[in-house]
Amino acid sequence: MDQPELITQLQLGDESAFTKLVDEYQDMVYNTALGIVQQADDADDITQEVFIQVYQSISSFKGDSKFSTWLYRIAVSKALDHEKKKKRKKRFGFVQSLFGGDGEEQVHPVEFDHPGIQAEKKESAAALFRALKQIPDNQRIVFSLHKLEGQSNREIAAIMNTSLQAVESLMSRAKASLKKELNDYYQKNIT
Amino acid sequence: MNKHENINKLIDDALKSADDIKRAAVKPFLLTRIHARMNKGKESLWEKAGWLIGRPAVAFTGLCMILLINITVVMVNKPSATDYAVERSSQQQVDEFSYTVATIYEIDNTQQNDK
Repeated sequence: MDQPELITQLQLGDESAFTKLVDEYQDMVYNTALGIVQQADDADDITQEVFIQVYQSISSFKGDSKFSTWLYRIAVSKALDHEKKKKRKKRFGFVQSLFGGDGEEQVHPVEFDHPGIQAEKKESAAALFRALKQIPDNQRIVFSLHKLEGQSNREIAAIMNTSLQAVESLMSRAKASLKKELNDYYQKNIT
Repeated sequence: MNKHENINKLIDDALKSADDIKRAAVKPFLLTRIHARMNKGKESLWEKAGWLIGRPAVAFTGLCMILLINITVVMVNKPSATDYAVERSSQQQVDEFSYTVATIYEIDNTQQNDK
């Protein structure tokens, strides 16, 4: 079954087409979410939400962009929503703790260990992922899609619905921000 | 190598660390979990209503509304000084003319005795 046929079958509500879609794109969606949220369980949740959304709104896919671009867009937006919700929960938990309550489940940032990183680079990668968490969302998305998903600037521009120049500018700003964050981190931690 | 050079090398290493990253594998049975979640989403109208009412923001707003309505009703129906005066004068009239059942019987009995 080729891609246009798969989409047609999905639009007709074919269950086997949905199974095939999940099979084919699960790694892509999961890794996009993982790069942004840096939590395996959260990325798994987001992956499920993305496929449910695809199943429910496949009729709105008109083929103006590539299917993978549409899917990346949903994955990125769901991952960012998830991050926002988590930050809100964290703030609410803090406010509750001020009033003597137990608060919501506190979200402590833990060091992220990406399973796809080579063993000898784990330490450097942990510092990189820590720095990635500190930079603005749009810079983080551009960097993640390029480095972790291997997307070209043109494809990233299509996913983010922006111009190629804007993506190039975001990429150079992301690198500068990451260098600054890493420098601050190593200045504090290297004796 | 001094500290500054050392840090620059560490920064370069960190930036290059994700260059040949491999994709992480999804936990098994993703499709089953998606189906379970989709079925969980099919709630009845009552379940949806319960979920809506159970949300702290909705529950708190509802409670505030009920309190506000109660306060408004109490304020609107609060007896004013004129109401009290009218009630008092009616009571005085009743006392004065003795419009009570016992009195009417008494009048009746007195009239019969007179005959």
